[in-house]
Amino acid sequence: MQNTTLAKPGTKVVRVGPDGAAWIEGYRCDECGAVVTVATMACRNCASRTPPAPFRATDHGTLYSWSVVHRSYPGIAVPFVSAIVDLHDGLSLKGTLRNVDATTLRLGMPVVLVFDDAGGAHDQNGAPYVGYHFVPEGVSE
Amino acid sequence: MTDVFVVGAGMIKFGRYPDRTYFQLGAEAALMALDDAGVSIKDVGAVYASSTFNAASMLGQKILQQIGQTGVPCINVSNACASGASAVREAFTGIKSGLYDIVLVVGAEKNPSGMLGGSPVAGPPPEGLFGSVTMPALFAEAGMVHANAYGTTLEQFAQVAVKNHHHATMNPKAAYQKETPLDMVLASEMIAYPLTKLMCSANVDGAAALVLVSDKKARELGMARAVRIRGSAMASDVFEPRSPEILEPNSVTRLAAARAYEMAGVGPEDLDLVELHDCFATAEILHYENLGLCADGEGGRMVSSGVTALGGRIPVNVSGGLLSKGHPIGATGVANMVEIVEQLRGEVGARQVSGARIGMTHVLGFGGSSAAGVHIFEKA
Ligand SMILES: [Zn+2]
Repeated sequence: MQNTTLAKPGTKVVRVGPDGAAWIEGYRCDECGAVVTVATMACRNCASRTPPAPFRATDHGTLYSWSVVHRSYPGIAVPFVSAIVDLHDGLSLKGTLRNVDATTLRLGMPVVLVFDDAGGAHDQNGAPYVGYHFVPEGVSE
Repeated sequence: MTDVFVVGAGMIKFGRYPDRTYFQLGAEAALMALDDAGVSIKDVGAVYASSTFNAASMLGQKILQQIGQTGVPCINVSNACASGASAVREAFTGIKSGLYDIVLVVGAEKNPSGMLGGSPVAGPPPEGLFGSVTMPALFAEAGMVHANAYGTTLEQFAQVAVKNHHHATMNPKAAYQKETPLDMVLASEMIAYPLTKLMCSANVDGAAALVLVSDKKARELGMARAVRIRGSAMASDVFEPRSPEILEPNSVTRLAAARAYEMAGVGPEDLDLVELHDCFATAEILHYENLGLCADGEGGRMVSSGVTALGGRIPVNVSGGLLSKGHPIGATGVANMVEIVEQLRGEVGARQVSGARIGMTHVLGFGGSSAAGVHIFEKA
């Protein structure tokens, strides 16, 4: 019988193992090296019919672009930093960059991906979600 | 193959129309374009109707219910913010193929209120947890790539809004006709850095329409006010390593622009004016470069030096653009063309680009993937 209270991925790129350990999954094309966040039937870049293969992404990367969001949809807490991070193994991810002084943001700034409880959300069976965010390298979570 | 000409153009004043339906707005614009062309709906061989939010509701047929159900083929087009240009492109191919001599294109939209962007997902609501997917945030991030690469400043992005809001003061059909000096743009509410509220497009309703004809029909109707479509190009987004985690509006626009320039047999130096997709102030600066109006990295200086203002070397968004004329999404691409057509005819009054002979329109649609449309027009 399935354990319905096991933590579930809080967003498309998160995977959760049977032991509860979480990782980010990326996909890499063996033909051209393209790296993407979502599984596809053929390679988006070179159209190779060998689907890009899954890999566990590293949690270290650098800041590529960002915006400090001051107004969002109703009910969303602001401000926050929306960031695009280039992980060192080629996967680029969007996420919220926390514990950072927005005036210190700069291109190439080292950041670390940290798993979290996706804001404390649970599904209808009470199962928790696993999410992630970024923090500057060397800053506590 | 026949050339394709625009012989009729019309648009309603952009704004909010709480008491009217999107197809009533579309029907009004359609009648304006037909009257402008001097033809009847009974002369039209096909209708292409564009709406981002209502194409699935048979917008075109509902417009025909308002103005005459002639039984012609009616195709409804939705392609995000590129819907209008996509409809025109389909009409263009219909005339080029020889299937039709007269085609009506109508773009009509009643925009939802509030901030646009995002789509339903399973799991916890992602906004704020995993960055932002509001449209302002996406175009802010795209602008920051430019700022990081070239040192483009907040003030330069803001100057796009100053310019386009100024242009709109000369356009009675713009949603807003209000000067917004630099300090006002910078002091307006910060939405997503570097975009303040006045650097985001005006979220309004609107409709615009064009009548396209073959060269045989254009000669029959009279060439005096005809405008030739010299280039009509669309592109879908090619692979970009970070897309769609980041909105990458550049390569898709460059692809469409290259195709349009090639078809038209002209280059950026031949253009007298451009109506491009300034959905946000950051986007305009990116598209100067994407459309070849300046070298890569020069976009910020292009706006701050006044080159793209009315009276400058290559005026951009003289209509007021999406920032101030407004952005009724499915109508926008058609409305851009209405402006160029009326400019090339010399009919727009105070905002007339003197001696305009060749003009370009551009739109970019984004919804996790992209579409770009670029058209080049010449006074016949
Ligand atoms: Zn590949």
